[in-house]
Amino acid sequence: MRALAIVPAWNEERNLPEVLEEIRQAAPSWDVCVVDDGSSDGTASVAREKGAVLLRLPINLGIGGAVQTGYLWARDHGYDVAAQIDGDGQHDPRHLAAALQPIQAGMADFVIGSRYLGSDGFRSTALRRAGTRYLSWFLRLRCGARVTDPTSGFRVAGRRAIELFAADYPSDYPEPEAIAFAIRGGLRVQEVPVLMRGRQHGTSSIGPGRTLYYLVKVSLALLLLPVERRRNAELSG
Amino acid sequence: MTHPLLPLELQVVACATLIAFSGWVLYLVRLQRLSLRDSLLWLLSTAVVVVFAIFPRLLQDLARGIGVQVPSNALFALGILYLTLNVLSLTIVLSRESARSRRLAQECALLRAELDVMRMRVEKVSPELSHSDGVA
Repeated sequence: MRALAIVPAWNEERNLPEVLEEIRQAAPSWDVCVVDDGSSDGTASVAREKGAVLLRLPINLGIGGAVQTGYLWARDHGYDVAAQIDGDGQHDPRHLAAALQPIQAGMADFVIGSRYLGSDGFRSTALRRAGTRYLSWFLRLRCGARVTDPTSGFRVAGRRAIELFAADYPSDYPEPEAIAFAIRGGLRVQEVPVLMRGRQHGTSSIGPGRTLYYLVKVSLALLLLPVERRRNAELSG
Repeated sequence: MTHPLLPLELQVVACATLIAFSGWVLYLVRLQRLSLRDSLLWLLSTAVVVVFAIFPRLLQDLARGIGVQVPSNALFALGILYLTLNVLSLTIVLSRESARSRRLAQECALLRAELDVMRMRVEKVSPELSHSDGVA
């Protein structure tokens, strides 16, 4: 089985070496590709030094466009599974094995690492937790997804999910919408508990003031899921 | 009709302005600074406004038809509609273009990575052939 870790990174030269080292230790058989989303720092050279495949975007596309680039690489190079691990160090690659398990067992096509299934670890601010609960409820209402942590960026995709996301991946704040895409595309979505850490260096891309905008934007995106996709899903059964 | 909606002078000025505007749009097309396809909505909608300027009666009929008391308000409403349509069409083009440039940027990244892989293979086979000037 060929597995690829997709590490989207935007100006993460300080966090990236540790992330790549952790992936190498936790999952030595995995190939790693760093998607450099138009960084202005040494992200690209860190990735090269560490022997990762470097997908270097000439312009900043945002997390959605960056992650999709990784899925395109995974699709074109025939990978069976692809994992998303953020370049900021908040995801622990030691959870990869557990997240891979449902896919290997043929039970799921897309696995999300959830902060809220386990018992402890870093869980962000109260406002964001409330937002997450709301989004989880909204996703279930909109397309029947049962996901406790829809904004988690720690994900493992099987072959069908790789192909779906390579063809079509949302932009802006893509995580909850990607789950809806997956469900619409007839994929089986599961969650596994993971622990997340606060980031080591730098600041998160979503400040507290933006949380509300985030929720409104994502809700709208979920309401207005593309028409085309429903037809495609029906055609492919 | 005791009070014409548009005095003759205004009709002439309006028509001249609109035709000059259309001329400018056509000139931009000929300079290839505006594509013919993107100019069509401007030309078409401007032509409609010219028709209203030449035959203000149409505007009065329209105003009566949709229940607007003062015909000049119908004129403003039409003007706003005209701008809104053109701006919307512009935004549609913009969204399409940003989806395309996203796709192109991704293709660039994928090709760069393929090139890296190729370069590494060449270096393995014949180190003397390759240069170590990795394209950043």
